[in-house]
Amino acid sequence: MKRILIVDDAATVRLYHREILETANYAVEEAMNGIEALEKALQSPFDLYLVDINMPKLDGYGFLRELRGQDLPQAPAIMISTEAQANDEQRAYIAGANIYLIKPVKPDRLLTQVRLLLGDVYR
Amino acid sequence: MNPLLEQFLSEARDFLQGIGEKLMQLENAPDDAALMGELFRLVHTLKGNSGLFDFPEMTRVLHAGEDLMDAVRNGRVAYSRLLADCLLDAMDFVGMLCNEIEANGAMGVTHAGTSVRLVESLRQLMERDAAGPRHADTIETAEAETASGATEHPSASFRADLPLAVIPEAARMDAYRHAGAGHLLHWIAYTPSEQCFYQGEDPFFLARQTPELRWGCIEARDPWPPLAEMDAYCCLLDFCLLTAAPRAELEEHYRYVMDQVEIAPLPRLALVLPQGDSNGGPVYDDFATDARHLLATGDLVGLARNAGTMLELSNPDLWIASALRWLRLMLEIEPENRAALAVLVESLSRLAAPDWASIQIGTTGSAEHSEITRPSQPDDGQFVATASESRPMEPINQGQAMANGPASAEADALAAIVATQREILALTDDPAWLPGRIKAAAAALAGCLRVSVAPDALPGLETGLDAATTLALADNSGAALLAWLDGQFSPSLDLSDAEGAAADGSVNAEETTATMARESTTQAPLAPTPPPEGDGEIKFGRRAEDAIAGPKSLKVDQAKIDRLMNLIGEMVVAKNALPYLAGRAEAVFGVRELSRDIKGHYAVINRIAEEMQDAIMQVRMMPVSFVFQRFPRLVRDISRKLGKEVNLVLEGEETEADKNIIEALGDPLMHIVRNSLDHGIELPEVRRVAGKPAAGTLTLRAAQESDRVVIVIQDDGKGIDPDAIKRKAYAKGLIDEATLERIGDQEAVNLVFAAGFSTAEQVSDLSGRGVGMDVVRTAVDKVNGTLALTSERGRGTHLSLSLPLSMAVTNVMIVVSDGQRFGIPMDSVVETVRVPRAAIRTIKHSLATVLRGRIVPLKSINGLLGLDVAPKANADDELAVLVVRLGNEAVGLLVDDFRETLDIILKPMTGVLAGIPAYAGSALMGDGSVLMVLNVKEIL
Repeated sequence: MKRILIVDDAATVRLYHREILETANYAVEEAMNGIEALEKALQSPFDLYLVDINMPKLDGYGFLRELRGQDLPQAPAIMISTEAQANDEQRAYIAGANIYLIKPVKPDRLLTQVRLLLGDVYR
Repeated sequence: MNPLLEQFLSEARDFLQGIGEKLMQLENAPDDAALMGELFRLVHTLKGNSGLFDFPEMTRVLHAGEDLMDAVRNGRVAYSRLLADCLLDAMDFVGMLCNEIEANGAMGVTHAGTSVRLVESLRQLMERDAAGPRHADTIETAEAETASGATEHPSASFRADLPLAVIPEAARMDAYRHAGAGHLLHWIAYTPSEQCFYQGEDPFFLARQTPELRWGCIEARDPWPPLAEMDAYCCLLDFCLLTAAPRAELEEHYRYVMDQVEIAPLPRLALVLPQGDSNGGPVYDDFATDARHLLATGDLVGLARNAGTMLELSNPDLWIASALRWLRLMLEIEPENRAALAVLVESLSRLAAPDWASIQIGTTGSAEHSEITRPSQPDDGQFVATASESRPMEPINQGQAMANGPASAEADALAAIVATQREILALTDDPAWLPGRIKAAAAALAGCLRVSVAPDALPGLETGLDAATTLALADNSGAALLAWLDGQFSPSLDLSDAEGAAADGSVNAEETTATMARESTTQAPLAPTPPPEGDGEIKFGRRAEDAIAGPKSLKVDQAKIDRLMNLIGEMVVAKNALPYLAGRAEAVFGVRELSRDIKGHYAVINRIAEEMQDAIMQVRMMPVSFVFQRFPRLVRDISRKLGKEVNLVLEGEETEADKNIIEALGDPLMHIVRNSLDHGIELPEVRRVAGKPAAGTLTLRAAQESDRVVIVIQDDGKGIDPDAIKRKAYAKGLIDEATLERIGDQEAVNLVFAAGFSTAEQVSDLSGRGVGMDVVRTAVDKVNGTLALTSERGRGTHLSLSLPLSMAVTNVMIVVSDGQRFGIPMDSVVETVRVPRAAIRTIKHSLATVLRGRIVPLKSINGLLGLDVAPKANADDELAVLVVRLGNEAVGLLVDDFRETLDIILKPMTGVLAGIPAYAGSALMGDGSVLMVLNVKEIL
């Protein structure tokens, strides 16, 4: 089973994404902020990261920068944001995100992106 | 309720509380940027959460709050008390919605009005500050950002700043229609200089004469000053205008005040903003499905007919009706613009304006963008129109794709992913983490390859990708991968909308070839090279904060803890049976060794049970801050309402006590604090006259003293006037004339706790109807607490509550009388003495004795309980006297004998027995018998 790490400080969002991903048979783990996420990734790298931007301690950009700076097998990352901040998309890509989605992400939209990034054939 | 919603509600409460606290803290430190950032993050996250559900009212309000906090955070809007008030109101509203959702599983339909009002007040705060010259800066930055980004950028500031929604629908439709005829719309923000009247200007006339004026409004720049302070010769007005004139003409018109005018092009689609009551229904779902289909098949006539029918069926005030009117208008004006139509239909199907708006913003942004990048184009109405039509192509592609089936949706998404990876690879910065970024992009591309390429072609392509990745890593630039992409991927996939990105790609590809050629001369072909050295390339070491992953805590349902508590209670009782068993083993069966074994074992079980009990009690402990935390807000609100200035000082918030105690504390404390604010602390003028600082101080202090929590509420107000109390009590018939003469000031002050007492001349809505203090006493009594009130006239009032740490276990002393055992709570026991019969005197009809120089009245417990037996004396003819505390006095209870003290789990009396006030409750003893625990206050 492919492993996906959800990095978000909002438990509601984590639960939402977890349910979507688990129904599609992915193994999901959660982290509440960038620091925690990084620790988990360092212990054992994931196949995909779902990253929120605004988080305490270490935000999404910071996490991705640190993650991309590690000598690890690098997996794609989806940055999930609300539309509130202009220019986030560019910043996300610079920091190392591969896809930028806007909250709330509809389940099928998220799954399509995840499957494509992981190379899993549709259905 | 589904678990996601449950999670949302519970988290939302935490967030709301956090937001309230942060706002309170900001009040004291308005410049604290970190606090501001944290506050923004909370509002932002909460909004994000609410977006997962269909609570448009809630999301709308939170969105406005978020935008406002964003503006505050970035220094565009100054923090003010007014702002805090608005935000608190908004959060209260959200909290109320949460309660409603929790209670009914859904939200009532009546909140649209409130939410709109709240949103408006929040937006106004933002616009007022943002309309100044700084505003121009932000727009420019936004534009610059848009220009630098290759794809559409959600530029929230644009939408937030243009209050398009306030323009009446008819005016917007008119302008839209006009724009459809080939005119370009402009939004004008005109901020006349304050001194303009002295310069011979007439802003109103100038604004009125704006060519092709479609709509306009005038706003006050700041809240109106009091009439007396108003300067009639100072212009305090801002003008917002919507016009269909070309920019050149506008610039000509405003040529004398160009520095005060801001002209922004407005794509006509930005005006398509349905408004109204957001109720919907299943019938609209059907309509949306049909509409999507009709649009996909190009049957616009059918679509217009459907919309017309639907419109007739709908209440014109509904949001949906507004959307339908727009749909009809768009079909009329620009039927060829399928993209925009599809967007509107999508929005219709969701009944959600925000989604429509977010797409709209993209359009708006790109329109600006084009305006900036090609400033040379003169009256370029045509151009902008094209831009705004072509930009939403991406959404429409997806929309159509969905109609065609998931496979093509997937293809679109695939193309978008590849285009994005191109963009990422084409980034020209050179950060330390670049190798990781390249690897990640390669990983994303590998995923795309696997789903899009025939299995037999896959190995070759993957090898190619690997090689290109290695090359790119060696080169420390995405160019090599881009070049490979152009060679491999694009022919099949580049039919997407990513021309821009593709163009970038090809430019970079050329560079790459050049670079590669150069590289190959200087550097040998590249086996896996170590990642290039950048400064701090692997700079992540373990930091101190990493180790602390936050306190690990669990949220547990209260019922579970209560159950645990009950179980341990039963276990304590069951365990107490063992000594009896041991006694029986020895006495009845004569096996002394077994008895000893049982006793030994009992000691072990006893220790474990006690520890367990202690552990569970610890779980139930809560800090006093749980009650204290609501006071900053309460005190702030009340004192402002009363026009008083109050500093609230909280101390010892970390003091812990049992959950029940803490909860029981809430209401009494609230009453006391309200009383202090209402009756205690004087108005600032009065205080100044009395030589006190204008701001009163109210202190809430908690501390643990042995096994009790002591809470002190102290104010420096006017104190309690004992004479006023006496008179009032007499007038109310609470005391008779003799008492009136006799009682001292301290006793008089305590009269405020008498039932039905109120000193306030006027009943105010704040401290209740004057029933406050006796309610306080009852509530404190209920948890075995005590109250002490002292007051000094003109200096303030000091009230101290002393409460037990826990109510779960009651320590009782067992006494025997008439052969029966009774429990007396140790809380009320002062001492046990044996008094010689000779030392007992009869005063009138009462018995009394002298203990350490004080007369202590004596009562026989048999007499009190109606047992017709005289107290027994021991061999030395001494009577057992249990001295108990009753208020501030001591009373001696005559009993037959004292026994041990015991921790018991007191069960309140239930059923018919609940009506017997003489007993506080009952407890099960180890031998299975029932111990009745007396309520000392009641029997005396």
